[in-house]
Amino acid sequence: MSCDGPVLRVSDMVFGYDKENNLEDITFDIKAGEFVAILGQNGSGKTTLMRCINKILKINSGDVLIDDDSILSMSMEEIARVCTTVPADVSLDFSLTVRDYISLGRTPFIKSLWWEDEEDERIIDQALWDFGITQYESRRLHELSSGERARVVLAKGVVQTPKLMLVDEPSAHLDIKYKVQVMELLKMLADKGMAILMANHDINLLTRFCDRILLLHKGHIIADGPPKDVITAENIRTVFGIEVEMVESNGVPYVLPTGSTLTGGSIR
Amino acid sequence: MADDYERLSSEVHGRKVGSKKVRAVATLIVVFGVIAIVFLYLFSLTQGAYPISFAEAFEQMKIIIETMGNPEDMSGSIIFTIRMPRSIAVLLVGAGLAVAGAVMQALIHNPLVDPYVTGVSSGASFGVVLMTLGGVISVGSVATMWLIPVGAIIGAVGAFILTMTVAEAAGGKAMSYVLGGTIMAAGMSAGTTLIMYFNADKIQHITSWMFGSFATVQWDDVMIMFIPIILIIAFMVLQARKLNVMLLGETQAQYLGMNARTYKRNLLILVAILTAFCVAYCGVIGFLGLVIPHLCRMVVGGDHRVLLPTSIVVGSLVLLVADIICKSNPSGELPIGAIISVVGVPFFIYLMVKEGKKYVM
Repeated sequence: MSCDGPVLRVSDMVFGYDKENNLEDITFDIKAGEFVAILGQNGSGKTTLMRCINKILKINSGDVLIDDDSILSMSMEEIARVCTTVPADVSLDFSLTVRDYISLGRTPFIKSLWWEDEEDERIIDQALWDFGITQYESRRLHELSSGERARVVLAKGVVQTPKLMLVDEPSAHLDIKYKVQVMELLKMLADKGMAILMANHDINLLTRFCDRILLLHKGHIIADGPPKDVITAENIRTVFGIEVEMVESNGVPYVLPTGSTLTGGSIR
Repeated sequence: MADDYERLSSEVHGRKVGSKKVRAVATLIVVFGVIAIVFLYLFSLTQGAYPISFAEAFEQMKIIIETMGNPEDMSGSIIFTIRMPRSIAVLLVGAGLAVAGAVMQALIHNPLVDPYVTGVSSGASFGVVLMTLGGVISVGSVATMWLIPVGAIIGAVGAFILTMTVAEAAGGKAMSYVLGGTIMAAGMSAGTTLIMYFNADKIQHITSWMFGSFATVQWDDVMIMFIPIILIIAFMVLQARKLNVMLLGETQAQYLGMNARTYKRNLLILVAILTAFCVAYCGVIGFLGLVIPHLCRMVVGGDHRVLLPTSIVVGSLVLLVADIICKSNPSGELPIGAIISVVGVPFFIYLMVKEGKKYVM
């Protein structure tokens, strides 16, 4: 169903393992074309939140709507047709070629038992071209650099033709050039109308590229807004427990970590 | 952009030759493999204690086909009653173990596993030995012949469930399955040894079976193993695309809409049953399920749509060659399980050293 409302709407969502709630009163939405980041400490629940949205984890209460449909009434395949989840990296190599790997993104749409149809092939060709990996398509995944592989992983997400893309730590292990490249590619996808929710620790990349940042702390969203409103020295101190100095360049706030985690030679 | 895309389109289609080339190579392997299998099958009919020439074997085959299984003389009788079922069983088991290995590697997400490493084969073996030496199955009895695969299935599925339980309790990582399987295989082998120790008078038949041998396989056995092995292999081939998705791991397969956990469990049970039928009449043949998918993956890549058909043909071919070598030994028949392991063990060590570091252990 298409709609003018948000692509993703999370309302009063609660999730917890056993009796303890890990995420409470989570409410936010993302419109088409918005590039939103979740920021929080390690273990704050960023990945858990994504896994609640794509129904890998079952929420305790509240609701998650994707394109106006509640995930509670959707099958995993129906969710996969509108929402793609991009992992940090490819974990194992079984000698799949780049093309074989990217074609797996078409799984929720494949009608035939074995081969992709012409429409699938066209979408895969387009993604290879858009991400500049056409020349690698016959290469095996382990033959690629981390930067090339990051693009391949994103391309697999794109051939799933989603309205919503969840991206978990897309620039981990990448050098600064490829970190920027991955963010530019995600921004490009958002500009084409995709709603993107990304978990990432690199604050300065988020402030430069994202439209909004959700600050997650102790299972709650404590701030939600444009980077310049959310990324403040006070908020960083509250969430990460470290002093930072804020600087601004071309209207974008950047963080300089000036504080220390050591007191008298020991960890605080 | 549109012009660029048009220009690129032709380049892409040019490069698609890359993936088409892989499929062409796989097709060639399958076609030439099948031709080689037909030739070697006929050749295998000439090998054994009683000398039969290739031309005679060919003539006898024609007579057997024309008379619908009524050989005219002793040569024909040996070929029909002993050598034909034996070689058909070899082909079935070769294909079955290769498929079982390839599928298990995809599902467990670890290229260093097969039914032997994960203890499934040992479990099947334990089941058969327990029922045979425990008196439930009497060797050579037609009435209890059907109980052999039953014992193998109970043992294989039982070992599989125990391995899975241990592996999941240990964190469910790829290496947990290998360690769990190794422990299970050791336990099952110890159990088998103890049963045999206390049944020394019945040990002779079981010993040759334990080493892996097709020497005692008859038409009745082939009839029992044929349909389940063929059906399970065909089913697995139809699952090729989903198996590709499972290479991404359980969580990522779920991201693509698959109910990965249930799918994995169901297919692993089928793999255990396939292994049980392969092991039931010829004993444990280690490493075939590990080595064949790897050999094929090196040539045609990891796409199961080409990997499985190639593994089926190469698995059958390799085991047929091994069986011919075993039968051709002038000083008596060699145990095929040992022959395959002699090649498989160094190959496994090579894989562990070369490939092992890449994987999440």
